[in-house]
Amino acid sequence: MTRAKTWRRRLVPYLLIAPAVVYLALFFAYPMYEGLVLAIYDDDALLPVRGSPALGSDEVAKIPQGTALAVLDRQSLEMADDGATDLLTDEWFRVAGTGAGGVAVEGWVPETRVRVREQDTSGAPQAGTVRPRLGQSVDPLTVVHAEPNDRSAVVGRLEQRAPVTISEVAVLEVWFLVQPAADAASAAGWAPSRYLQVFDDGESGRVHRGTAGEFTTAFIERMVDDRFFGPALRTTLLVMALLIPVQFVLALIMALVIHSRIRLSSGFLYAFSLPIGMSDLAAGILFFSIFTGNGLLNSILDGLGIIDGPFAFLTAENTNWIIFAIVLAELWRATSIVMVILVAGLQAIPDETLEAAELFGASYQQRVRHIILPLLRPSIQVALILRTILAFQVFAVVIALSGGDVVTVLANESFRQYFDLRNNNVASAYALFILLLSIASAVFYLRSVRAESEVRAT
Amino acid sequence: MAEIRIERVNKRFGDKVAVRDISITISDREFLVLLGPSGCGKTTLLRAIAGLGMADSGRITIGGQDVTYLPPGQRQISMVFQSYAIFPHMTVRENIGFGLQMNKVDKAETKRRVTSAAELLHIEDLLDRRPSAMSGGQRQRVAVARALAMKARVLLMDEPLSNLDALLRLEMRAELKRLLADVDATTVYVTHDQIEALSMGDRVAVMRDGEIQQCDAPNVVYESPSNRFVGSFIGNPPMNFLEGTIRRTGDGVVVAAAQHDFSPVPEVQPLIRALSGDRVTLGIRAENMETLPEPGPDTVAVRVEVIEPLGAQNLLTVYVGGHRLKVSTHPSVPVTIDQELHIRFPAAQIRWIDPATDKVLYTP
Amino acid sequence: MSNTASPGSTAPLIDAETLSGAADTLPPLDSPEVVAMHRRMRRRANRGRIVTYAAAFAIAAWILLPIYFMFSMAFTTQETVRSYPKNILPFIPFSIDTMTFFLESEGVLRGLWNSILVASITLVLSTLISVPAGYAIARYLFRGRDLFRLSVLTVRAFPIVVLSIPLAVLFLRAGVFDSLWSLALMHTALALPTSILVISSVFASVPYELEEAGQVFGATPLQSFRHIIVPLVLPGIAASGLFTFVLSWNEVFAAAVLTIDNRTLPALLLTSLANAPDEFQFAGSFFLMIPSIVFMFFIRRYLFNMWGQVSK
Repeated sequence: MTRAKTWRRRLVPYLLIAPAVVYLALFFAYPMYEGLVLAIYDDDALLPVRGSPALGSDEVAKIPQGTALAVLDRQSLEMADDGATDLLTDEWFRVAGTGAGGVAVEGWVPETRVRVREQDTSGAPQAGTVRPRLGQSVDPLTVVHAEPNDRSAVVGRLEQRAPVTISEVAVLEVWFLVQPAADAASAAGWAPSRYLQVFDDGESGRVHRGTAGEFTTAFIERMVDDRFFGPALRTTLLVMALLIPVQFVLALIMALVIHSRIRLSSGFLYAFSLPIGMSDLAAGILFFSIFTGNGLLNSILDGLGIIDGPFAFLTAENTNWIIFAIVLAELWRATSIVMVILVAGLQAIPDETLEAAELFGASYQQRVRHIILPLLRPSIQVALILRTILAFQVFAVVIALSGGDVVTVLANESFRQYFDLRNNNVASAYALFILLLSIASAVFYLRSVRAESEVRAT
Repeated sequence: MAEIRIERVNKRFGDKVAVRDISITISDREFLVLLGPSGCGKTTLLRAIAGLGMADSGRITIGGQDVTYLPPGQRQISMVFQSYAIFPHMTVRENIGFGLQMNKVDKAETKRRVTSAAELLHIEDLLDRRPSAMSGGQRQRVAVARALAMKARVLLMDEPLSNLDALLRLEMRAELKRLLADVDATTVYVTHDQIEALSMGDRVAVMRDGEIQQCDAPNVVYESPSNRFVGSFIGNPPMNFLEGTIRRTGDGVVVAAAQHDFSPVPEVQPLIRALSGDRVTLGIRAENMETLPEPGPDTVAVRVEVIEPLGAQNLLTVYVGGHRLKVSTHPSVPVTIDQELHIRFPAAQIRWIDPATDKVLYTP
Repeated sequence: MSNTASPGSTAPLIDAETLSGAADTLPPLDSPEVVAMHRRMRRRANRGRIVTYAAAFAIAAWILLPIYFMFSMAFTTQETVRSYPKNILPFIPFSIDTMTFFLESEGVLRGLWNSILVASITLVLSTLISVPAGYAIARYLFRGRDLFRLSVLTVRAFPIVVLSIPLAVLFLRAGVFDSLWSLALMHTALALPTSILVISSVFASVPYELEEAGQVFGATPLQSFRHIIVPLVLPGIAASGLFTFVLSWNEVFAAAVLTIDNRTLPALLLTSLANAPDEFQFAGSFFLMIPSIVFMFFIRRYLFNMWGQVSK
């Protein structure tokens, strides 16, 4: 009884965290895994070809995307209604008419054999005449099949120009019997047209996409080869390099001001922490309003007589100004969070420790250097990690200030690949790259501080 | 020469007056203890001397130099903090040498002084350790060593032993006393522990409500408190107080209290006589009363209510005429609860207190 | 001030030294020279404070002035927004012209409503999930507690970008793309880590003895939780909820990726940046900022719970 009770008690915390764990697994871990898959695994890399032109038949080979093909045969098959695009189709008409020898014939002929003469209001063919066949060697009669299929039984023949009524239209997908062109010895197999591109000669072609996956570095290569990749990476790193040192100095000053317990310090804390709740989009628009052509900065500079007429800060010719504006906007927006972390760290330093330093003759600057900074080290480390990771995500600020193409950053490229170019895989490759950079920088900061981890305040 | 002179120093926090118009002179190399209950202003006064909380008005001079509003770092003082305030990111060596480094003492001299301070406190083995792994007692030693290494003219100590456990405190108290005897600095020591105060100080300044009630040598403060508060704050158990009625007889007085007539020593008689009302308070310490098994001349009969054996003595709570008194007796004196005892009050040991001002009328 | 700043007085000890000597030879406390010297020394001691105040006001101005300018652009005439050069700040004419233009623009009211909806769902969901988890971390010692805490901490630092695109693909596959619910689910995932940590620190700040005391006096665990703990933690949980709301309200990347027709306000603003006039953007960013300005006032006491505890 009591044992059952303690056992149940032990279970309580697990039950309490279960929703959070499940939720994070579902909406954090799983997408994270999916993202990885998207970036390095190509769903369409291989085309399975089949032993006979039917969906259920055995696969005989897998041919990689882009492989040149020899087309050996073709055939129309009833199409699966799955909304697929890129189909090569044949249309067949179900016709009825008087055949050769006066016999009534009803059956299927390819659309190419009938000239449509009458259509109903919706455009569906109603009646037509059988097209003549050109050339001497061919049979002048048109063969009528039992099913909309070359290989089905022949139910009769129609004379050329014979009038027919059309009762039904069937749209068929073409299947091809293919084999890699470079390797005539390999097995040939059937594949539907949607995965292939067949050239005009009807005898050669190429695998256009597949249904089976393969690990690939193609997306990553495409990301690296993208003409925006270099500039995006460069700008991201440049913004970080310019921003983070200034940001930490400013945040330290803000934290020291708050910690000095001047009057109104709760008011100052409110003012200083306002930007924490601001989105980067709002900050971007804020600084856009300052730097834009008829914005605040130009108005002031003009008013002071420093410039004559507006200076175009945010144009393609002035990318340095754009980067400067981005850095300022990020400095404005994201310094507060560093400040809060540092203030929390400062609060953990006992007053007497600082008083002792003061009493033993340390000036304010010396106290900051010898006491405060070393004791803030863990807080600084956390803030650095957080800030660096957030800096890799800078995105809306850049769009607001540059339109997103004059100056671009990694997160923006990920967005562009997804949003404008509809390329989920390359977008995911960018995301993966950002993740790797984040992890690398976190590890770097942790490592660089670990050497002195015993320094930690007790 | 580092005489500390405090003149009319005031300090308030908002509406609360922490230090009220205090003047006191601490002579060179003296060991002065500031003693008082919490909130009495003793730490505020110490911090004013240190410069950690500047006085609102008044003047503090150290060695004739006006330091009232000088930053602490420029006062040539050192201090042991209540929480020790050891720098956790520095080794013991760096901690002890911190003040010297800040004051730009040269390297060799710093090394010499750090080593000798560490030896004094027996922590030379810990010099390269970090304080995070050290016990409270060891940190305390580091704090003291750091203060001593400064060789400052003034040494301030803010309840340095209060964070130690009882046994360690006893040991450290004696050791501190030994160390400080050899130190040239003028020392100001803040504590709320009267035993520390009495055992260590050259003089003890008893404070209450921002004022110094009495500042004298420990035995004087104990035996001749200047007012009722000092008598009740110092000593364990505190001084006994009895309310008495004055009867003026001819040219003398007799005081009736606890169903007994007391005749004060001749020096006090005119002072009691001169009191405006007819009330006066008697004060006497527990160990100054004689207990007798039989009634004798000048004895008062009392009933024993509580017996607390304390080892070296028995502390009795006795009841007499509406008063309860604490009396200490030798353990060899047999007592039982509800027993009647007879107590004699030696006239020379009785302190007479004016109930209107709570001041002691006469100090022998 | 001018007195001490004059080139004649240099070393800080000079004042004191002029008045040092044998104690008896010092001038009396109320003599004019002592009074004047004390005044000078106090001023000097206060100089650091003056610098601190100057820094405080300068930084406050750096943060507040852009907001003020933005707001004055959001509440003025469209002509003023386009005009150049603009008047010095306080003389920007007040008008609700830009605001009306913004609110009457296509999709704006819907976007605002969507934002409110998504943020509210996020608030409710994340509070429901993180209260028990936060309580478990604060109150129970169980195997895996540190692992759980650590993963929550790590997850918080993960880039939103990494999450948004695969989630969009997954939602697309599941047929729930471009729905406010799917965006709220994503925002909840983003808000959960912070929310759990804050709420656990709020619970941790209420001593467990209080709960035990309640049980000693006969309350069931649930009763003592309701009557003793809930009133004490409610403000903290409310603060964390508000923070969650602001987080969702602000979130741009996932909102832009996961929605097409059901745009939230930030997604709408972002995608219309290129072709919307300035006044549309300014009025829009006013709406972006308002919740955080209002809520930060209530949250500010808990900021250190949110970010400070990371360092331990």
